[in-house]
Amino acid sequence: MRSSRKRLDVGSLTLDVALVAVVACLLQTSNVKLQAQSAPFQRDSAAFYRAMDLEGAGKYREAGAEFRRALFTSTSVSSLLGLERVYAELKITDSLLVPLDSLIRAYPKEPVYRSVQLRSLQSLGREPDQRQAFEKWVVDAPKDPAPYREYSRQLLQQGQAIRADSILARARIQLGGTGDLQLEVAQSRAALGQWEESAKSWRLALINAPYLEQAAAYSLAPAPLQLRDPIRAQFFAPPLLVAARRTLATLESTWGSPANGWVALRDLPPDSASANAWLDFAQRAEAEERWTHAREALSAVLKYKNTPDIALRAAVAALNSGDPGGALSLAPLTGGGADSARVARTLLPVHIRALAALGRPATAERLVTSYERWLTPTARATLARSIAFGWVRIGDMGRARTALTVAGPDADSSDAAGWLALYAGDLVTARRLLRTGGDASPELALALGAVARVKGDSSLELGQAFLKLARADTAGAASALVECAEKLPDVASLLIYTAGQLRAAQRNDAQAIPLYQRVVEQYAMSAEAPTAELEWARALQRRGDSASAVQRLEHLILSYPQSALVPQARRDLELVRQAIP
Amino acid sequence: LVLGLAASSARAQQLLVPMDDQQQNHLKAYGLTFAALKAGMKAEWLLNYRGGSFLLPDTPELRRRAGLDGITMEPVGVGEVNSIRAEIANSNMDAIPLEKAPRVAVYTPPDAPPWDDAVTLALKYAGIEYTPIYDDEVEKGDLSKYDWLHLHHEDFTGQLNKFHLGYRDASWFVDLVQKNASTARRLGFTNIPALKKSVAEKIRLFVERGGFLFAMCGATETLELAMAGNSVDLAGAFADGSPMDENADAKMDWKRSLAFQNAHLEQSPFVNSMSDIDGHQVNVPGRRQPLGAFTLFNFSAKFDPVNAMLVQNHRSVIPDFFGVTTSFTKALLKPGDSILAFEEGAPWVKYVHGDYGKGTWTYYGGHDPEDPQHAIGNPPTDLSLHKGSPGYRLILNNVLFPAAKKKPLKT
Repeated sequence: MRSSRKRLDVGSLTLDVALVAVVACLLQTSNVKLQAQSAPFQRDSAAFYRAMDLEGAGKYREAGAEFRRALFTSTSVSSLLGLERVYAELKITDSLLVPLDSLIRAYPKEPVYRSVQLRSLQSLGREPDQRQAFEKWVVDAPKDPAPYREYSRQLLQQGQAIRADSILARARIQLGGTGDLQLEVAQSRAALGQWEESAKSWRLALINAPYLEQAAAYSLAPAPLQLRDPIRAQFFAPPLLVAARRTLATLESTWGSPANGWVALRDLPPDSASANAWLDFAQRAEAEERWTHAREALSAVLKYKNTPDIALRAAVAALNSGDPGGALSLAPLTGGGADSARVARTLLPVHIRALAALGRPATAERLVTSYERWLTPTARATLARSIAFGWVRIGDMGRARTALTVAGPDADSSDAAGWLALYAGDLVTARRLLRTGGDASPELALALGAVARVKGDSSLELGQAFLKLARADTAGAASALVECAEKLPDVASLLIYTAGQLRAAQRNDAQAIPLYQRVVEQYAMSAEAPTAELEWARALQRRGDSASAVQRLEHLILSYPQSALVPQARRDLELVRQAIP
Repeated sequence: LVLGLAASSARAQQLLVPMDDQQQNHLKAYGLTFAALKAGMKAEWLLNYRGGSFLLPDTPELRRRAGLDGITMEPVGVGEVNSIRAEIANSNMDAIPLEKAPRVAVYTPPDAPPWDDAVTLALKYAGIEYTPIYDDEVEKGDLSKYDWLHLHHEDFTGQLNKFHLGYRDASWFVDLVQKNASTARRLGFTNIPALKKSVAEKIRLFVERGGFLFAMCGATETLELAMAGNSVDLAGAFADGSPMDENADAKMDWKRSLAFQNAHLEQSPFVNSMSDIDGHQVNVPGRRQPLGAFTLFNFSAKFDPVNAMLVQNHRSVIPDFFGVTTSFTKALLKPGDSILAFEEGAPWVKYVHGDYGKGTWTYYGGHDPEDPQHAIGNPPTDLSLHKGSPGYRLILNNVLFPAAKKKPLKT
């Protein structure tokens, strides 16, 4: 059904937000005017406050009487808006028209009265009267953009974009331009599917009203894929406008490409407005764990505003994005003027992790030594684990072991020590110490599963396979796990399945599929069989073999009806069969 | 209780597919029953028994499909079946034999995705085969090949749901106008309203000759208007170049329509409404009525099995949902119409049914039972997240109802 959207897709939320702003402005100007023209008004506002209390208590009828009493006091505008609310609740909006007529006769140029009149007539379905009221307003205030703004906005809310468009065209002729109506022009263009024109108007509107950034992004978000480039061109066009670029960045994220969002922001000049845009972007990227974008944005901020907090965030983002060298340079230990205790608490752990990742554990050790007196035993043990992994990465297991031992009992009985034991094939120690691991990483879960299921006390082959994994040798680890499976039948299905996952992670489905198949066919009763079959089906689907994928999914559902994976398999099956969108 | 295939390897005599809250996937259960009929098996619809359950033969194929689709079923032996039949005999229940899978057609534009319409969504999800047909096929006389016809949310007055009011220059709307105008020209009509009236007339004849018609949303109201206004200019100038006949109301021939009479047309081309048939008027802000909930009428299964079939459900009160036409003004129904669902105290009804000639029609207001405020651009409904949707069940009741063997009324 398309037409029920008509009342919604003109960006009613956006309009509401804008409406609040406009009404607030109108209220301010009206109150000033009313104070200046208060001769016929009484200054008593008690009735208004009584009305507010009654409205708050849900006594609309009584509130209506009080609001009416307050209509010709200094709170006239607020009372009228209150009356509009309570009459709507009582479904007697038509009763508002008579007092409105009196108010408009007394103050024909007051825009709030006119706006309420148009709204009331619209909600009563009296569209010809609404149109007539608009025409009268235009006659009474011929050079005022307000009637055009209000009426076109209401038409847009009703989904009547074409009529709104014609009203705005009239405004262009009568007022000599639509400079004050860019928001409405932009909305009407978007509602008509004229995306490029809408973007152009939004850009103009954003010059004086940068707070409309979210409204612009909301309005342009439905633009079809093939029509987005002209929108981009409008927002990229010179002169550079930060609000326009921010809008585009939001749009790009909505359209599913945060990378393009960063493209929209990266060449902004380093000033406070740009820094705020970069910080907002970085915050979203951090929350979504898009570390490369977070690093880029925070690095840009540092060029304008270099604070220890931002430097630390940039370094963490760099480290998490796989750029340990960048982490070291973005947050140097000597920069920022921080005292040593603070450096030890904040920057040092990042530097140690970065050095370990770079294969420079000796440098990391020297650094830790230089900050020794500011480190608590717990912090020291944490750093020792990072250093130990640095030694593992360069293949020196002995130094890794020593790094933990010298750091004290905390480090030596940690999960890091458990990992070292596993790499050395000491399954008894690994079983005991890995359980103390605080993180819930997939690697730890895999290791715990493996060492728990192997019946023996040692396996150098298993240790070597995990060591290859730790050294980021994915292909080597996959091969080692498969070889190891021959010697460890208790855990063979887990190891082969894991090897399949490693191959799939390398986008090598051709090698992953036989491994999944082996688990399903040779180890059909194992815990890994259903999950291997699901991954098998997904790999087949990725390769475009839907028929075989269906076979696997059906086999899984029927063979393992009690498996927790059955709902996922059913959903995959629906998708492969195109039974759901 | 036995769930799925694995729980019982021994074959029972029959499979009971419960449709109460025990059922894990109500919508797929209709597909299972349809598949059984399609394969030449006999089935029974146990009206009012555990939410309108199905009794199917116990075959490996059906067990397999139930297992794959996550449909709850209970193998039952002769003794249990006898016990069920005894309960049915002594209550407001009945067992209706289902004999033959109906040939299903859906009147829908060739390029419309199935997610654009609640019925095609439901059929796709349940795994019920259907043939999409559109103006060319209808004009060619293909309707006679089908038992059951569903109407996509078409505007049979030819005004394209008055989308021009808000979308005159939107590319999808321009495309829609061009396609329809081109079809009209190709089939020898001067404009889109003339083409759609002709299609509406063929649909009327389809029902008159014994077809089962099911329509939702705006297709209900506009089909009625197009039938009654077959010789009246109903369309605004934007659609056919001439304004609506000023005396259109007086010229409507309500003897030709299926469900409504004495409706008043919306004369203004600027008001997004077709007539006063729709009780909710969702696209006319000053007239729009809020959504409530509708109640299914509880019919006698033994004396009124057709209506009882159409309201089989595990819920009797269902949240309402908007559509171009959301509901039907009660005062405009013809005297013989059956009200299947209504909103307590409201001047409109939600779901109506009736006979016409040798056939029947059923109208269900609203667009998507699981997306009450559906709007253009909204993501399509994923029925795997609404497996027990009571609103969608009403649609699928209609698909199976033509499979029922006609029984003489006991009155």
